[in-house]
Amino acid sequence: MIASHAPVPHGPIQPGLGALQLEEHLRDRFAMVRDPRDLTGLTMVVAPERLREAIKYLRDAENLKFAMLLDVVGIDYLSFPDHRESRFAVVYLLKSLDFRHRLSLKVWVDEERPAVPSVHELYKSANWAEREVWDQYGIVFTDHPNLKRLLNHHEFIGHALRKDYPCQKRQKLSVNDMMIDQLEARLKSRGYTLLEHGEQHPGSLITRPSAVPHTGAPPPPGGATGARP
Amino acid sequence: MKVISPQGEHIELMTVNVGPSHPATHGTLRILAALDGENIAACVTEIGYLHRGFEKMIEQGTYQQVLPYTDRLNYCSAMMNNIGFCKAVEGMFSVTVPERCIVVRVILSELSRIIDHMVCVCTNLVDLGALTNFWYFFNTREEVYKIWEKLCGARLTNTVTRIGGMYRDVYPDFANDVTEVLKKIESSVTEVRGLIEHNKIFIDRTKDICVVSAADAISWGWTGPCLRASGVDRDLRKDEPYYGYQDYQFDTVIGTSGDTFDRIMVRIYEMIESVSITRQALAKLKPGPINSTDARLSLPSRDQVYHDMEALINSFKLIYEGVRPPPGESYDATEAANGELGYLIVSDGGTNPYRIKVRPPCFTQFAAYADMLEGGMLADVAASLGSINIIAGELDR
Repeated sequence: MIASHAPVPHGPIQPGLGALQLEEHLRDRFAMVRDPRDLTGLTMVVAPERLREAIKYLRDAENLKFAMLLDVVGIDYLSFPDHRESRFAVVYLLKSLDFRHRLSLKVWVDEERPAVPSVHELYKSANWAEREVWDQYGIVFTDHPNLKRLLNHHEFIGHALRKDYPCQKRQKLSVNDMMIDQLEARLKSRGYTLLEHGEQHPGSLITRPSAVPHTGAPPPPGGATGARP
Repeated sequence: MKVISPQGEHIELMTVNVGPSHPATHGTLRILAALDGENIAACVTEIGYLHRGFEKMIEQGTYQQVLPYTDRLNYCSAMMNNIGFCKAVEGMFSVTVPERCIVVRVILSELSRIIDHMVCVCTNLVDLGALTNFWYFFNTREEVYKIWEKLCGARLTNTVTRIGGMYRDVYPDFANDVTEVLKKIESSVTEVRGLIEHNKIFIDRTKDICVVSAADAISWGWTGPCLRASGVDRDLRKDEPYYGYQDYQFDTVIGTSGDTFDRIMVRIYEMIESVSITRQALAKLKPGPINSTDARLSLPSRDQVYHDMEALINSFKLIYEGVRPPPGESYDATEAANGELGYLIVSDGGTNPYRIKVRPPCFTQFAAYADMLEGGMLADVAASLGSINIIAGELDR
């Protein structure tokens, strides 16, 4: 498991940096650009290759201390009027517990190669939040330890929150996810050595070897973009 | 499942599946655990059984039509979801609702927080086999629901706010009813506290069970009572005050060890603070307009509609098309009963929301659940799930 980093804040929350100071600081250090779309807060656009470095800095720097990743949000701009950037965006909602400042980091994601580095090693909350974005938008988080669907059924084809996924489309979904592969991976990560694979237990209707050996590798390219409806 | 344990022993683990439909799963979620005797060697969790495509559905309607859907997120405190959503949309217009509306929203929020905590605490106690508390709390909760019924006709899913104000002003006797119900809440909280605070069975089942350290809770993105139970003194009402919370006298309740006991007790003591906030808010409830007069959000008065062409057109446009926030994005959060409830709204300037992402507080809490359970016993599964207050409606959306 990932070691926790965050020193626990003491005393009342401090004012922190204003949006302008924060914007200047991040522009100089990571060449980030302010996103003019944000109406009420501060959203900075960062290049995907600098994302991990930037988030680690934001988390650890003494005057920033963005200790909490509240959520990871996918956005599909396919039908957004007059949109010129990439089709997808991933937004990281960050909050500091020592200072009264918040920040959203935005990464533009190409339709052809929808991939962003995972930040699960920096925040525990990223694990599920990234799985949800993968599930709903088909954006791959590289190096994610368990990039599986979270809200939709594991047999679901396509990505439901994409703008070109029809709202009324129906799919036939049948067999439960046994989750034995995930359980085996967790046992391994806790120091157990498995002597046999697959499982037969009262909860499963059929006996079968675990369908997908857990390797930690990202899904194949076909699954990455997802089947189009 | 034959394995070699980290200590080098050859052992056989048994896999047990709990849920998705199980009385203790508070909705529908699934836990698959590998057991070494009664101890959980490892477990994985699965959600999504109540996934209704909330975020897809609300892209199909107008902003006003989103409101009834928000009721069905955390249905134990539906009004707080209404209020959070309306506040987020009003923020995009830079509109502040009238003082009376703010005070009414504070009263409704705090009463909702109380009934949400009641459900959380007493169902958790039922999971532990303590049924009496359930009646004490649910009787009082029923009294609050009677006020909801008088206020808007609905009990569970209220849809009581509107963008720019409220569905209607409160009824004349509202303040008296709330004053009365506060007394009942205080007495039922005292009764339940008396039953559990020094109860050996309860303490044995919850003390030092499923401990989450402060650093872990922060990294997991925990907010609200669960974060405070781990000893982190953070509350949006204090840290980023909205709706005049800086003018209310109340304490944030924090725990010391982050175990199941603390998570339950923090909620019990928060109810007492919420009672105090509600009393202070009642004193601030002065006559005045309840809805914003901003023509972009609020319907014109009937009188204006009948005598003024512009007002008639405005009324039609607001009914048929709804509000149109300026193009752009905005994230806004309120301190809901469970923690930080956030709405990230993307508007393309049209009548339908382009994208709304809900940041449900219990999503991050349930993500940590497998880690909390590992190393503990199977009996802790039921004993601790209630303490992180999983509401499948907002968890799965």
